[in-house]
Amino acid sequence: MKEVPAKVEHNNTWVVIKLGIGEDRIVLPAPVNKEILFKTVVDVAERKNILIVTAKAESEVVVKILSVEKVLQILKKMILGTCNAYRLMAYFMSPAIRGGVMITGAQWEKGSVVVVHTGIWFVSATKQVCVPVSDVAAIELTKREVQGKPTDVVRIDHLESGEVVSSLVLCPLSTLQVLFNFLKDTTKGMDMKGTELDSVDQQVAMLIYSGMDSHAIENMLNIPHKQLDAIYDKILKLGLAEVVTIRREVQLTAKGVRYISDATKAQTN
Amino acid sequence: MGKILIVDDTLFMRTLLKNILFSGGHTIAGEAGDGEEAIAKYKELKPDLVTMDVVMPKMNGIEALKGIKALDPAARVVMCTAVGQEQMVKLAIKTGAKGYIVKPFQAPKVLEEVKNVLAS
Repeated sequence: MKEVPAKVEHNNTWVVIKLGIGEDRIVLPAPVNKEILFKTVVDVAERKNILIVTAKAESEVVVKILSVEKVLQILKKMILGTCNAYRLMAYFMSPAIRGGVMITGAQWEKGSVVVVHTGIWFVSATKQVCVPVSDVAAIELTKREVQGKPTDVVRIDHLESGEVVSSLVLCPLSTLQVLFNFLKDTTKGMDMKGTELDSVDQQVAMLIYSGMDSHAIENMLNIPHKQLDAIYDKILKLGLAEVVTIRREVQLTAKGVRYISDATKAQTN
Repeated sequence: MGKILIVDDTLFMRTLLKNILFSGGHTIAGEAGDGEEAIAKYKELKPDLVTMDVVMPKMNGIEALKGIKALDPAARVVMCTAVGQEQMVKLAIKTGAKGYIVKPFQAPKVLEEVKNVLAS
């Protein structure tokens, strides 16, 4: 078993340990005292340089590991190779398209696609890319030109830093169909069915995305504040937006009016 | 800051772009609702930059781009495309477009692309 330096979250603080990496498990020594078999891992997520591993044996265990990129890469590769997840060998291109444009030099890589609870992982000998399920915007079975021939691929559109990025998966059609169905099922929580917005609501959503504030939206669409408020309520309820700032409209009291009257007099005298 | 011609068949998109470009300190030279009108307005207004929608009635954005490039090979045209139109973008860049922005628009990205193209 190899030992590598890492920090692990334990009782809400980060502790430095010598993390043991075996063929089928990781060992977290004292004060954590835990052993996690890779085959019991049901979820792997990554937030910057923290790996969040969820295992389910008799009870659920969540471990947060912070380490250098090289160590995390080894861990990801080993865990994703044997964890309890939907896995298939495939060629993938991730990212393939950014903002609607093919990425120059993007190439097909041989590896596997691993679908865990919170993400879709693309794993090859040299990289592990995760697309969080919550960032998936669309999954489509489509055709793409591969070596000059139109070929069936699964296209996964996801958001990355506010931009739509697409990844492509290529494997035999029957497997592709299974993957497509599985991904659709995994991401059905993100399904937009029943999310009926009328054209004004859609325009408001688009203007919010474009960075317009309430005042600009009211002016652009020529709608009163109350109507915009009602549309905000609708899209908030549907989970399409979140409140970031509450602005106040105020009017002056008698004291305030006296104050500005005096100030104006002082300026004109 | 530049004088910009906005070409899009929907009033909503034109208004949105106008607002974004105004907020970035640009002047709107004019607006066109299809490719033919875009070429005519380009001839008349000589803008510093054109934002050009790809899918439009009468004449699409690619054809209008060709028309504008025939009039002025140095014309700066930024294509406005939707996600999934990567082949269109490739074709537009080949035809001479200087840049592209993707719908739905995000104000900072639009202003950044316009700034880059105006500086080119």
